[in-house]
Amino acid sequence: MTEFARALAEKEFMILARLDPPAGPDPAPWQETAASLAGRVDAALVSDNRGAVTRMAAVTAAWLLQQAGVPPVVVFSCRDRNRLALAAELWAAQALGLRDFLLVSGDYVTLGDQPEAKPVYDLDSVQALDLARNLDGGSDLFTGAAASPTASPWPPQAMKLRKKISAGARFLVTTPVHTAAELAPLVAALTLAGGRPLVPVLAGWEPGAEDDPAAAGAAARELGQAGAAGLVLSLSGEAGEWNALLTALGR
Amino acid sequence: MIIAERKPFAEIEAACRPYRRLLVVGCGTCVAVCLTGGEKEAHVLASQLDLAAQIAGREQDFAVACLERQCDREFLDTLEEQAEGAEALVSLACGAGIQFLAERFAPLPVLAGVNTTMIGINRQVGLWEEKCRACRDCLLTLTGGVCPVSLCPKGMLNGPCGGSRDGRCETDPERDCAWTLIWNRLEAAGRLEQLTAVVPPRSHGPAGLPGRQSHPAYLRRYEAHD
Repeated sequence: MTEFARALAEKEFMILARLDPPAGPDPAPWQETAASLAGRVDAALVSDNRGAVTRMAAVTAAWLLQQAGVPPVVVFSCRDRNRLALAAELWAAQALGLRDFLLVSGDYVTLGDQPEAKPVYDLDSVQALDLARNLDGGSDLFTGAAASPTASPWPPQAMKLRKKISAGARFLVTTPVHTAAELAPLVAALTLAGGRPLVPVLAGWEPGAEDDPAAAGAAARELGQAGAAGLVLSLSGEAGEWNALLTALGR
Repeated sequence: MIIAERKPFAEIEAACRPYRRLLVVGCGTCVAVCLTGGEKEAHVLASQLDLAAQIAGREQDFAVACLERQCDREFLDTLEEQAEGAEALVSLACGAGIQFLAERFAPLPVLAGVNTTMIGINRQVGLWEEKCRACRDCLLTLTGGVCPVSLCPKGMLNGPCGGSRDGRCETDPERDCAWTLIWNRLEAAGRLEQLTAVVPPRSHGPAGLPGRQSHPAYLRRYEAHD
């Protein structure tokens, strides 16, 4: 069991930061952000060319975070890797002591900074989860999947989430939601008779333009009551903003 | 059928410049139906090229031929006489036809006059839609006759990605989400349960080689296609 898995099982409410690795080779600003988050978040979700915008490789960025004392959850997208590359990078990450992954399909290339790139999608997220669990050493990994509760229509999304869980997703991270109502269909789709979600759901959240940092506290309460096991906060990444946000959450 | 679109005129015209005697070769099947490379379009292109040559003061001659199909050797053979003396051929067939023409008349240069765009259907007069990527592993029985390989930009096999909004694709709000179409088709037919099993990764192995298939009856009769 990874430390992140243990924390997810034991802690009442998790606070994660979603971080986009630097758009360049200089690790210094990333390390500064990491230092400011160490001890204040339970983990950080390290994005992988999010929005199809080129950034430093998630494995390296995650390793740098780990060195700075922030437990990383590494996102791997199927957009930029075929099945060889996925397996190779999972092993590369494991060799560096990384065990926690979020396996996603990935935003389409036309949304990003290389719109003419060849999109890979050799596997989809369900197949990538299955690949990870069957890999040599895969049983040591803790893998999760993305959920998009505001996608519509919802029923095919729910069907795919059930497939992700059956293929080895042991937690879900949602795209940013703002209200309990937005999270409700997801929680309902995954709730067993006993009232607990099939797997823990970490709700994405980012402050709106007019939001006071204190809105984070209210969001945590509201989304927590709606069934979220924690929040994955996202920001443009300034250390000052993180400080205000985490202070508002009592971190 | 195979759909193609004519290349930009400037590109074709530039490719023709080094040659004095050219033969524009149309194809009477798919590209004729999609109004790109049939007999009429071959004549139109030849006239345009002729005009451009006159304006530029170049001495060029553009003859026209149209074959029933450029993807069949027996039709290519009928071009022998007309190709005599040509310095280059301009093909308005799909990529398959262009290649077969180039192979048959090598080393004569064959210039591509069209971009082959898709395998599709005729939705309305003058409107064609992509339907098939010739992936060699058809899933249409499972997916209610809607192809996720061709119609989902990500080729997702196990359901929609999270980018679907109001049944439209994250890549383009004008584009239907293939998985919404699949879901709606199977829901209406009461067959949603066939989507519950995880679909394994596709094999891309065979696609690494140019495809070849032979018909067993022909094989027996003619001992052909070794």
